[in-house]
Amino acid sequence: MKKKTGIPAPELPSLVPPWAAALASVAVPGLGQALARSVWRGVLILASVLSVTAMFVWRVRLIGYLQSTPGAMLAKAMELRPGFTVIVLAGTALVWLANVRDAWLRASRRRGGPLVFALILVSFFALGWQISEIDPASLVTDFPQAMEPLGKVVWPWEAAVTREPILEEAGASIRVPTQAGGGPAPDPVEEGKPRLVANPSSGELSRIDENNNLVPGTTITLTGTGFRPGLPVELWWRDPLRNAFQLRKGGNYLSVVPDAGGSFTTDVMMPYSLGPVGEGRDEPHRVEARQTVARAAARASEALRLVVERIIETIIMGMMATLFGIILAIPVSFLAARNIMSASPLTLGIYYLTRTILNIVRAIEPLIWALIAVVWVGLGPFAGIVALTIHSVAALGKLYSEAIEGIDPGPIEAIQATGATRLQNIMYAVVPQMISPFVSFSIYRWDVNVRMSTVIGLVGGGGVGFILVQYIRLLDYRAAGIAVWFIAVTVAVLDYVSAEIRRRFQ
Amino acid sequence: MLEVQNLTKVYPDGTVALKDVSFTVEPGEFLIIIGLSGSGKSTLLRCINRLIDPTEGRILWDGVDVTAAEGEDLRHIRRQIGMVFQQFNLVKRSSVLTNVLAGRLGYAPTGPSLVHRFSAADRELAAKAMARVGIADQARKAARELSGGQQQRVGIARALMQQPRMILADEPVASLDPVLAHSILGHLEQLNREDRITILCSLHYLDLVQRYASRVIGLRAGRLVWRGTDEDIRRMNDAEFKEIYGEEAERTNAGLVRGQAS
Repeated sequence: MKKKTGIPAPELPSLVPPWAAALASVAVPGLGQALARSVWRGVLILASVLSVTAMFVWRVRLIGYLQSTPGAMLAKAMELRPGFTVIVLAGTALVWLANVRDAWLRASRRRGGPLVFALILVSFFALGWQISEIDPASLVTDFPQAMEPLGKVVWPWEAAVTREPILEEAGASIRVPTQAGGGPAPDPVEEGKPRLVANPSSGELSRIDENNNLVPGTTITLTGTGFRPGLPVELWWRDPLRNAFQLRKGGNYLSVVPDAGGSFTTDVMMPYSLGPVGEGRDEPHRVEARQTVARAAARASEALRLVVERIIETIIMGMMATLFGIILAIPVSFLAARNIMSASPLTLGIYYLTRTILNIVRAIEPLIWALIAVVWVGLGPFAGIVALTIHSVAALGKLYSEAIEGIDPGPIEAIQATGATRLQNIMYAVVPQMISPFVSFSIYRWDVNVRMSTVIGLVGGGGVGFILVQYIRLLDYRAAGIAVWFIAVTVAVLDYVSAEIRRRFQ
Repeated sequence: MLEVQNLTKVYPDGTVALKDVSFTVEPGEFLIIIGLSGSGKSTLLRCINRLIDPTEGRILWDGVDVTAAEGEDLRHIRRQIGMVFQQFNLVKRSSVLTNVLAGRLGYAPTGPSLVHRFSAADRELAAKAMARVGIADQARKAARELSGGQQQRVGIARALMQQPRMILADEPVASLDPVLAHSILGHLEQLNREDRITILCSLHYLDLVQRYASRVIGLRAGRLVWRGTDEDIRRMNDAEFKEIYGEEAERTNAGLVRGQAS
């Protein structure tokens, strides 16, 4: 019998004397081994040497891309990545030598040993280190930068509650452009409410001229009365499109503190407006003074509420996908059970076909299925459910079919012998044997599906992953941290619960 | 009562398990079938209640051809014939009570039985059957929690639920130690004597055959090669026994404990 691997010592004498084999391997690595009748060993050595060389050339060209000659490129690589270049060059040279020795040993009917392959592995890993850009130093040097966002992720709970401010507000209308009569009148006096008066109440907005220089707008004197003494007042500008933004002075947000009588006076420059100016809207701009006088009781922040909603969605997604998976997997599993399908060549054909399809579907990760499902049914939880269902059918179909294959025919025979009908037999002999594996596989799958559905949102399949990736892209690390915490706790709890249920059902 | 005529069984792979086997069983007999493993004992017993369909020949049960019976008729024949197995063939996850009640399925109406509802009379019968083989206190346990000997008693109680006229026992003690073997065969003997239930049993050990058989038939390579009464078998020595049985034949050496076990 022919051996497929070149590792065992050759059984037939070499075609050439040892010195010739060694010489052949000097010219072409592996040729000597092939002549010594270790063909596979020779092919393996040649393929390894060729691929190491090819990858080395690729990386050297990348490093020395500014150089024009191969020699200069190599010199550049030596300069920039000395460790890598030396190890691969020396490794390849050693592989070459070891290969010559190996050919000589093989041809003289001795085992070559693993030395040549060990050296090949060293070259491969040296290349791998460089190709995958492994940089352990960055773990340390980049750590300080990562501290802040990571800290927020590790302890995000400040963002879990909000205390809404209770505001005292007053505003004044401002017209653009400057009006002859001065502009709109101040708001009427209301008892117990603060009041803001602008003077003048019309003017020009700041703007950028054709040379990109700021042309300052009209300066307005604001006088506030009836505010709480001592608490800061923020000044906001609201344009006719109702976009509000906080006014700045010298780069800082403008904030004034009323005197003991609750009054203040400050000058503001009319801001540069982003909105389309003078688009025929007849509403005035408003300048507003807002004073936070108290804070409402703490309540769950929007991030927390969203994460909780999405976690529920995630668990439900896992449940639904598991349910659909179970329903579809049961009939499929019978088609994939050998003991049931071995009756005729046709059914055996169906068995092999089903098995093959299940194996292929299972080999494709749910994340990939989710990408396909998003194209198919659009973004959202349903896409995730479709993806998880497809994968679950394949995974459960295989597990169930193995449970069916493992069924003990003894009890079936015994119940049949009592004169029971087919249906009675299924209920008394088949079902009790199936129930334990069915339940434990299904619970396990639910556990897997919930875990998967936390990830599936990353590609748009709904669930908590969907908002997690959004928070990360918005650099809202606290909100992302809340999502991560909830995912971790949910998965841990579910893992425990599922293990416990399965244990009790054994 | 039972008449086996020219029974032949050829499996699809070409194995000839039984070849032209004929014999009769009279009511009240304790008929023991001996033979090597692979000699066709199990196939023969399974042909009688049609767990296996014979290739040729007839089996007459009270003059009715079992080999031609189908559906309802076949089930009515099966429920009169209890069966006990070498591997007990209990549903291991189900309780002892459920396993025993399953013996009544041939009589119970299909609908209620599917949701495990049995008549009070059937439950009464189950309690008696379990008490009779000494497992009444194990009723609520799962079958797999019981020892081998106890499991085989559950098997006997299940057969008893059929109120059978005959019990087929396929190597009922081959998985048990000699003491338990006597205990189990003792139960079968008791049913044979007290209830006049005919017993058709395949066995391995000569001393057990000598102790319990009222009549013996021997199978070799699917052919019936030996018939004898209890007297014939009692006179038989080891050498003759081995001639039918081959070198696998052995004694349990359970003579010492025979008195205690029965």
